[in-house]
Amino acid sequence: MAAPLRIRRQLPLSPWLFAAPGLLITGAFVLYPFVSTLVNSFTDRRTLVPGRFVGLANFRELLHDDMFWTGLRNSFLYVLGVVPALVVLPLLLALLVHKNIPGITFFRSAFYTPVVASIVVVGLIWVWLLDERGLINALLEAIGIGRIGFLSDQWLLLLSAMAVTVWKGLGYYMIIYLAALANVPRELHEAAAVDGAGPVRRFLSVTVPAVRSTMVLVAALSSVAAFKVFSEVYLMAGPSGGPAGEDTTLVMLVQRTGTGLTGRVGYASALSVVVFVVTVALMLLVLRADRKEES
Amino acid sequence: MPISRRSLAAAALALVLPLSACGSGGDDGGPTDASGKVEGDITFQTWNLRANFKPYFEDLIADFEHTYPGTHVKWIDQPAEGYPDKLSADAAGGTLPDVVNVSPDLVAPLARAGLALDLDKAAGTYRSEYLPGAWASHRIPGMKGTYAFPWYLNTGPLFYNKALFEKAGLDPEQPPKTYDDLFSDALRMAEKSDGKVATLANVPTIEDFGRYGVPLMNRQGTAFTFNSAKGVELLTRYKELYDAKALDPQALTATPESAGKKFLTGAVAMNPGSALDLGNFKKNAPSLYRNIGITDQITSTGHVNMYVMGVMVNSRTRHTPAAVAFAHFVTDARHQMSFAKKVAIFPSTAGSLDDPYFTKEDGTDETRVRVAAAKSLKNAVNYTPVLFSDQMKTALRNEVAKALQGRQSPEEALDNAVNAADRLLRQG
Repeated sequence: MAAPLRIRRQLPLSPWLFAAPGLLITGAFVLYPFVSTLVNSFTDRRTLVPGRFVGLANFRELLHDDMFWTGLRNSFLYVLGVVPALVVLPLLLALLVHKNIPGITFFRSAFYTPVVASIVVVGLIWVWLLDERGLINALLEAIGIGRIGFLSDQWLLLLSAMAVTVWKGLGYYMIIYLAALANVPRELHEAAAVDGAGPVRRFLSVTVPAVRSTMVLVAALSSVAAFKVFSEVYLMAGPSGGPAGEDTTLVMLVQRTGTGLTGRVGYASALSVVVFVVTVALMLLVLRADRKEES
Repeated sequence: MPISRRSLAAAALALVLPLSACGSGGDDGGPTDASGKVEGDITFQTWNLRANFKPYFEDLIADFEHTYPGTHVKWIDQPAEGYPDKLSADAAGGTLPDVVNVSPDLVAPLARAGLALDLDKAAGTYRSEYLPGAWASHRIPGMKGTYAFPWYLNTGPLFYNKALFEKAGLDPEQPPKTYDDLFSDALRMAEKSDGKVATLANVPTIEDFGRYGVPLMNRQGTAFTFNSAKGVELLTRYKELYDAKALDPQALTATPESAGKKFLTGAVAMNPGSALDLGNFKKNAPSLYRNIGITDQITSTGHVNMYVMGVMVNSRTRHTPAAVAFAHFVTDARHQMSFAKKVAIFPSTAGSLDDPYFTKEDGTDETRVRVAAAKSLKNAVNYTPVLFSDQMKTALRNEVAKALQGRQSPEEALDNAVNAADRLLRQG
């Protein structure tokens, strides 16, 4: 009896060896930082000073931190502003370019170009365009509307950053939709057309149901990305987070609080834990809404 | 090949244990006594100096290695952007170079973490070689000792656009000297240009409060005091500028780069800078270059702000005598003087500013600016409190912005900024 028991207690080594490089990388760059952040969030650790355990003090402090609420508000506003646009607009764009007509590859490539462009370059270009003396304001002045403070007004700044995120993300999600549209059976469209459905009706009754699961995926991916937005707002609003820091997002606050020689690593870790929890909650919310719809 | 669960657990532990050591830093440094033979390999880190001064530093290092056989200096240079973050990553990871180029506000947290060598103890004999004020600039309130050799000093010129001054009916040869002059000239400029030309592109910083005559900290270095009546007065006047568009509307989100660009395009009439900017104006804005005016910083105290660069010795270096000797070598009178002849900076060594190079004009703009700056340096003050961290700067900037937008009174804004800075100070 002992021999079979011994066999059961043994695990084959080969699969572990194959998985080892991946596990090692995941352990070092995902698991360890995650656990470390979690542990740090309960300490008062600073960049150069090892922390003491402070229980929930960091979490209590952020409840009274105005900048935390500003960051949370802006991150949620970003999700509300960006996600619907990134779910709908790339689908419309994909519908425009999914037909195989001569020269369509050029348009597909053109729409995809912003995705491969560096966010820093894109951010700087938009800052120049939206500057008080930039091209867009010059055009607005020429047609008599007058100059608009895109980069000096708290709300316009946030809206401008959202527009850049949408503009940059369109091509990426368009590709995902193109793959989904290729799987929509042509017969369905033909049958609907025979039944007298026009283009809008066919879009709503055939295309949308067929790509629904892709829309859910895009909603989940874009909401997570939008909640964790950093680069666009940082580049357009500056390191201070816009006028009086009113455009600061949660991830910007994490960066500002936790970095530098006097960085409050413990407090920044608590902020990161909040970002993580909200991000997971957003994902679950989107998936739950989808399941409800299905049932 | 089978493997037992115990072996797997041991392997996982072996994987995790080294990771758990990450970030703890090493505390197995060398001796803090700088006496002994100067030998060994050391690393020297500068702050964005390689691009323009590579030959100077290569010669300096070769000279040191020749003077002290058995030493080897590895020079690394970091870009200006994100320098504090690079330092903090190195300090936390235990990879801080042996000799580091720092400013007083950067040396403070390193000294408090025990990473900067106390030079009063390790190199006190060199103290008399430097200007007393410069040596004192790397002292940290609440701590005993001095934590970096003073290196070069600068006041930073203030550039102004003479053509814009002239258009506004202001005398281009008489730029503002005090804050009172500045406020009246700026309001006039905004009025004459119908709000299209601002005089300033930046909100007031802690140095502005200092130069306006606002006491910034108490004597003990335990609390900030810039919310006094004088501080409120300065912010109230800046609010007047902002309302009149004499302060650029985008000043609330300005960075040094964006402010510099505004000055280049003629949207702003005055901007602080460095001698290196003149080349930039010549290349990118020739019409501005033809109309460029150079003056001293605005001050109402009679003292301009002095920026001090320092050279710190890592307290955990394994070669303390070599690191101290090299830091002194970089900052001694001979080398500071030769560096000053390559770029518009000023030596912090005693007597160097009396050299004819800094006292005699030869009729060119260059020597006029140099002699004037050297003269103002003699009674300049380093207004940046060494304990004023980046987080405190952000808190001040945000509260000032709210006051300028009219969302709170200048008094409330400064009270909030002082409270935030004091809280951060207490948290260490």
